[in-house]
Amino acid sequence: MKLLDCPMNGPRNIDEFQSFGPLRQAPDADAAADAEWARHLFRADNRKGVVVEWWRHVPSNFFFLAQRDVVTNEIIRTYAPGSRP
Amino acid sequence: MAGLVMRTFPLSPNGSAAGSVLPKGQLIVTDLTARPRFGIKGPGSSAWLEAQRLSLPPVNRIAMQVGVRLLRLGSDDFLAVDEASGEAVANLVAAWQAEKGRRGYWSWREEGWSWMRLSGPLVEASMSRLCALDLRPGRFAEDAVAQTRVAHLEAVLVRSEEGFDVFFDIASTAFFIRTVTAAAKLADGDTTTRENHR
Repeated sequence: MKLLDCPMNGPRNIDEFQSFGPLRQAPDADAAADAEWARHLFRADNRKGVVVEWWRHVPSNFFFLAQRDVVTNEIIRTYAPGSRP
Repeated sequence: MAGLVMRTFPLSPNGSAAGSVLPKGQLIVTDLTARPRFGIKGPGSSAWLEAQRLSLPPVNRIAMQVGVRLLRLGSDDFLAVDEASGEAVANLVAAWQAEKGRRGYWSWREEGWSWMRLSGPLVEASMSRLCALDLRPGRFAEDAVAQTRVAHLEAVLVRSEEGFDVFFDIASTAFFIRTVTAAAKLADGDTTTRENHR
């Protein structure tokens, strides 16, 4: 059983979580060109290395951030939004 | 009958789980869905409850108040459970409805959730088949709340005097009963039992 450490509920079976993809900066709504919006909406970065992702603990509906190495699938740390990692 | 509200619960004669039979052997499941409870959540709910002179527990803990078990499910998410006459919860609901200021919003836990109590000699053995958490007395405290999976369903789990109380999506009541019934048989040594959801 793979465990993920929820900042609110503690270590739980990964089965209790849902991934919401990498944390990304939205384009500037006033300045961004159509191509930039299209890229933001429809293309995933899919880079090697460490990414920060949104995750949700489903039974408590708690959203938090996780640093994960997408090559090794190691979860480096998890933290609540608003708290410093 | 005029003026009388007849609520339909899952195990009522015309309810969604009408044909289900609650286990009554070594594991006893009691349906408490009709008992009073009141949930509020969202900005303002903590401040409103504090204004009612309730002391708020930390997240995922229970505060025992006069007549009410107050479960904190998030920073602004609460469930008040009434074990007695229902008067304490009724008073809380009346005060909340009379409030004109910020008060959070009603989370309809008495409509949306079933409430089942698991007890009996096989409750620990059955729960170990239904939930992945360590629920041994030293590990899962009297005032702890676990928001986790029980019987494959998202659930809120707390201890009760006799065993455990589980709150879960009311539409899944028949599924919950079938799953718990199978777990109780397996815990009782019937190795041929399988969950049957057809």
